[in-house]
Amino acid sequence: MATEEEFRWLLHDEVHAVLRQLQDILKEASLRFTLPGSGTEGPTKQENFVLGSCGTDQVKGVLTLQGDALSQADVNLKMPRNNQLLHFAFREDKQWKLQQIQDARNHVSQAIYLLANRDESYQFRTGAEVLKLMDAVMLQLTRARNRLTTPATLTLPEIAASGLTRMFAPTLPSDLLVNVYINLNKLCLTVYQLHTLQPNSTKNFRPAGGAVLHSPGAMFEWGTQRLEVSHVHKVESVIPWLNDALVFFTVSLQLCQQLKDKCPPGPGARNSPSGTRRSSFVSRVCREYSCHSREYNCHSREYNCHSREYSCHSQEYSCHSWEYSRHSREYSCHSREYSRHSREYSRHSWS
Amino acid sequence: MRSSLQAVALWGKKAPPHSITAIMITDDQQMIVTGSQEGQLCLWNLSSELKISAKELLFGHSASVMCLARARDFSKQPFVVSAAENGEMCVWNVTNGQCVEKAILPYRHTAICYYHCSARMTEGWLLCCGEYQDVLIIDAKSLVIIHTFVSSQSPDWINCICIVHSMTIQEDSLLAVSVAGELKVWDISSSINSIQEKQDVYEKESKFLDSLNCRAIRFCTYTERLLLVVFSKCWKVYDYCDFSLLWTEVSGSGQFFAGGEVLAAHRIIIWTEDGHSYIYQLLNSGLSKSIYPADGTLLKETIYPHLLCSTSVQENKLDQSLPFVMGYINERKEPFYKILFSGEVSGRITLWHIPDVPVSKFDGSPREIPITTTWTLQDNFDKHSTTSQTISDYFSGFKDENETVVVTSSEYVPSLDKLICGCEDGTIFITQALNAAKAGLLEGDSLLKGSLPQKVLKGHHHSVTSLLYPHGLSSKLDQSWLVSGDQDSWVILWNIFTEEILHKFFLQAGLVTSLLMSPENFKLRSYQVICCVCSDHSVALLHLEGRRCLLSARKHLFPVRMIKWHPVENFLVVGCADDSVYIWEIETGTLERHETGERAKIILNCCDDSQLPKPESILPVASETHKHKSVEQRSSSLSQFGPIPCTGLQVESSCKVADAKSFSGPFNVLLVKTKWSNIGFHILLFDLESLLELLLPTPIRDVDPSNSFYCSEILRRAKSTVEKTTLTLKRNKTVCGPLSTEVHAKPVGESPAQGDNAIKLSEENDGVKKQKKIKNFKKMHPKQSRKVDANLTIDTAKLLLSCLLPWGVDKELDNLCIKHLNILKLQGPVSLGLAANEDHFSLMLPGWDLYNTEMKKDYSKVNLFSRKVLDLSDKYTSTFPNHSGMPKGLENNSDSLQESNTIVYLLSKLFLVNKLVNMPLELAYGMDSAFKIESVHNKMKSPGNDILNISSFYSYLRNGKSESHLPEADVSLLKLISCWRDQSVQVTEAIQAVLLAEVQKHMKTLRKTPVNSEPESVAKNGDYEMMQMLPKIEWAKDPELQCTTDTFPLQTPVSSVKHDSNSNSANFQDTEDMPDRCVLEESESPGKRKHHLWIEKVCSCKLC
Repeated sequence: MATEEEFRWLLHDEVHAVLRQLQDILKEASLRFTLPGSGTEGPTKQENFVLGSCGTDQVKGVLTLQGDALSQADVNLKMPRNNQLLHFAFREDKQWKLQQIQDARNHVSQAIYLLANRDESYQFRTGAEVLKLMDAVMLQLTRARNRLTTPATLTLPEIAASGLTRMFAPTLPSDLLVNVYINLNKLCLTVYQLHTLQPNSTKNFRPAGGAVLHSPGAMFEWGTQRLEVSHVHKVESVIPWLNDALVFFTVSLQLCQQLKDKCPPGPGARNSPSGTRRSSFVSRVCREYSCHSREYNCHSREYNCHSREYSCHSQEYSCHSWEYSRHSREYSCHSREYSRHSREYSRHSWS
Repeated sequence: MRSSLQAVALWGKKAPPHSITAIMITDDQQMIVTGSQEGQLCLWNLSSELKISAKELLFGHSASVMCLARARDFSKQPFVVSAAENGEMCVWNVTNGQCVEKAILPYRHTAICYYHCSARMTEGWLLCCGEYQDVLIIDAKSLVIIHTFVSSQSPDWINCICIVHSMTIQEDSLLAVSVAGELKVWDISSSINSIQEKQDVYEKESKFLDSLNCRAIRFCTYTERLLLVVFSKCWKVYDYCDFSLLWTEVSGSGQFFAGGEVLAAHRIIIWTEDGHSYIYQLLNSGLSKSIYPADGTLLKETIYPHLLCSTSVQENKLDQSLPFVMGYINERKEPFYKILFSGEVSGRITLWHIPDVPVSKFDGSPREIPITTTWTLQDNFDKHSTTSQTISDYFSGFKDENETVVVTSSEYVPSLDKLICGCEDGTIFITQALNAAKAGLLEGDSLLKGSLPQKVLKGHHHSVTSLLYPHGLSSKLDQSWLVSGDQDSWVILWNIFTEEILHKFFLQAGLVTSLLMSPENFKLRSYQVICCVCSDHSVALLHLEGRRCLLSARKHLFPVRMIKWHPVENFLVVGCADDSVYIWEIETGTLERHETGERAKIILNCCDDSQLPKPESILPVASETHKHKSVEQRSSSLSQFGPIPCTGLQVESSCKVADAKSFSGPFNVLLVKTKWSNIGFHILLFDLESLLELLLPTPIRDVDPSNSFYCSEILRRAKSTVEKTTLTLKRNKTVCGPLSTEVHAKPVGESPAQGDNAIKLSEENDGVKKQKKIKNFKKMHPKQSRKVDANLTIDTAKLLLSCLLPWGVDKELDNLCIKHLNILKLQGPVSLGLAANEDHFSLMLPGWDLYNTEMKKDYSKVNLFSRKVLDLSDKYTSTFPNHSGMPKGLENNSDSLQESNTIVYLLSKLFLVNKLVNMPLELAYGMDSAFKIESVHNKMKSPGNDILNISSFYSYLRNGKSESHLPEADVSLLKLISCWRDQSVQVTEAIQAVLLAEVQKHMKTLRKTPVNSEPESVAKNGDYEMMQMLPKIEWAKDPELQCTTDTFPLQTPVSSVKHDSNSNSANFQDTEDMPDRCVLEESESPGKRKHHLWIEKVCSCKLC
């Protein structure tokens, strides 16, 4: 009987506690997408991001982000050959939607909507119900996260055809291509310099496939011309609130998974044919918890060592080590949470 | 592609879960279509008295269904499109349950509208919105994205769309509301041209509506004035002319609106997520008429709603994890019903008949409209469960009668014909699959039921969650081994012959969700290893020979989705649900690397080549560079076979597996389970094609490449099928001799109960196999079919015939069948299913014929697929010539060989019909046109002729000489069948009809005294047909001659023909031949004049 009580406690109290926590985290995440001071009334606040790269300083630029749209862009490009300085900017009347941000935001609000329908007044009756809800929420959250972590892979003709190239006030010279995207927490701008391949060129023409970042030497056909990328410049800037959002996504995904792990599939304790089947339920949960927290600890240890290792490497890995340190931060915060949880659990199982 | 896969579902007592996420009623109000979270579609019959009964379950999506919509002008083609969460789209023919078209797009749709402007478009469009910007235009026929309606202002995801046909301004518009609450209007009819020319089409108007979560937008076609917009927390009425707000009604606390519809002028219905609905009259407020706006513009009409009626559903629902999905249909044709319908997560459908003029009670309070009908899948099962058809019921002979065994895992071993079932109480049953199926389905087999040979393995104390038969995957491993995993983390290695436990592994990692084996190219010190995936996301590697656990990888935070092997460096690569990758060194058991994001993807792609061979075909390559989203879901949903069924709980996972897997035997048993419930059911799969391959003793000749100059063409076009058959046929030649002696050396009626027998036989066959293995193509999986016991093949064929025969139509016929074919009668109507193509599957539900009213009266236990079958079969029979020759062979029916010949003959007929009806649509069209101009053979020379495909099957079946010799019998049969296909006769109907007719014919001859008449004429085509049957029959007479006949017709076909015409068996052939020919004349006397017309046309090119 005790097991049934535990199961009821899970469905009545624990699930709602987790859902509340999830909702709080996700609300916090969605706040990041609508910037502070924006609200429903009035225009969204603008933020400026100065783009830079660790290597050369041939491209400099300032992008202005207004919510999920780029409202202004100022890009200076020093041509490598003649040191001539090119400057181009967005047309006044146009904005460029960063679809990755918009999609991520919409996915989060979908997740919040799913959770909003299941407040304290709602009674969960089966474990399967919780599992289904968690699956739906996790699907939205994974999509939200993946939209930010995996920028679209575009072919060069696709970049050339994109509306972004038409956004600039002195129109872009025909030998330049521009692409803007989000990669993790960074706003990235790539500028491709092109040169035309002579039709009688001996070079073996092979059009490049899709990629996030094309490398020099990539070739493509545009109109009647065959073009080759001669130089690639990539500059980027960290968007702090995107970083927060990503952390929130990861944390809430893990919360969801933990809740899923606690819920037994099937119709629930009531209909369980034998008491023995569920008798091990709490002990299993406790065991899992302790094992999880152990895992987390060793993860963070691993991460630390990894990040140390990586930092030895050249700057190429700098962003990764950053990611790792972020992870380890997350994990340490998790293990704290876990220890709290397991404390809670042990308290409960004693009672 | 195995289009000849016949399925029989053993549903058991409990209906599979069907959590409805989308619902629609077809335009003719005769069918309800629902889509479920589990990924299936269900077709429900809706009678004219508004009675519902579930008809058919369609498997095809691997993720939750998001929306359904009409995909054609319904009166012409009854097609419905469904879109799933992972971007899959399917167009279904809802009358026969076949998937007509499918596509996977990187877009997740939440709503689809069909649009067709007959004057200016050939094909309709599907206007789609969902988790992407703006509105996509998809071609309704090919499911290709044509274009998009783009927005110039604040592009965003669109929540709902609706098409407005305005009579007054003769313009069709598309109304859409974005997630941010922005109403956008696009012109459709005036922008058709620019869409076809791929120019950008921007919105005409756009207005911010100031509410979020729009659920529906509807235009009042009666007044052409009002616009109803339903948000989750309020609904609003706007003036369509200037989009000015006329009324806002806010929902009560805890109530969320889900949709609405305009019932009539100024009358609307609004429904909520919890299944209630409210009908309002929109009244003009008296005030508004007197108030003129100060600026002198138009009169501002204000309205307010008055609640007339409401509806509600019964409370007490166990599971409400999904909102109710509701809809309203207002049909203009007979019988004039206005129906409100709802579907819910429990799989229940509820209908309300909305009165034409809903009125409130006399005192003005709202009236409650009663529920008209309500129905669930389970109701179908309850009402129809006169016989519970399960395999597992007969496991527990020693158990209590009323205690049912819940099978939690199951594995079929074709080489031994064993079905291994793990049960909830920890026992494992091993039984003869075929006999168990017979016991479950057929009557009169009571002997079998009582003493079904079975073994019981006892060792687990908890529910058995996974089973693996290693020998089935790699022939090098011991045949007696079975590995099973249970809920309590025990993995046991058994010897299934001695029933003893060889070793017990305790993983301490929670439920064992799946057991996999390393690929053949991955060897750890020349041994293959078993990989266990557990519910605490850990992976354990077991070494069976060494009886030890090699590695226990326990650091995964999310469920394991993918397991890959790196043979060179001994790495185990584990892909998790959060797209991270863990690389473990197997020797040392250390975590070598952990990666996330882009890098993880790259790593997974890198070891593609070293992946498990089988998952490879099914597991997605996660790298596929789609523009965005929905890719991730794919990986999860498709991973069921290999690693773990995770988020996407796939019922049909195993069906998919069945098709994707090299399903080589003629018979297979599959357990279909859902993730969120423990209800499972078995499906029996029969492969007609491979059954025939096994049964036909002659080396069947395929199209001879050297013989026909267009053969390369055929091969290229019909690659999948023809090539496959050539392959198998080649093999047939090598093995056929010894095997077929085996097949028929034994009396067929003998019960093949002893397992040892089977093993012995398969060992014998093994020897044969090894010889030919050298010749085998590397690619081919080791064929199991060759190993199957010969008796089993015949028994399988008999079981299939038992399932297909329309029992109960004619009592006398039933008895004759039982007597002469030595097959058993069904206990009750069986649930037939069909594996249409790669992974589309349809299964009839028990009681699908419940509302075929005429049938219900006289035949309560008739195994008739539909009423049509009788008519079709009559048609077929009526084309038989009156004086058809008797199949002489059937006279002395005591001979079991004759009986098996008849079975083979029937099966080959069925196979042909199946192939013809199942032919891809393009092929069919090509063929039809060929018929129309009646120049089949002229066309034949042209490379684009598709008829060759069919005839190649046909000739393969009939052992024809070459393509150019296509006789008119073929053509006429093709014509009849293609006629059926055009009338959208279902495959199963056609098969059953032909079977009924053929059986009737044969049995009739048995009733009368056989008249041995000479064939009136042996036409050219007749000869040709005889060649096929002759060797078989001859051989049947004298097995010793077999070898000669095997090769004889191959080398000198002509001489053999001459030889044949003397033999009596030609008669048999003739009966078969005649009906085909006579189809043309529609049962007139089989005069030859008409034939000649055909023959002349047909022959003009080939011989003359």
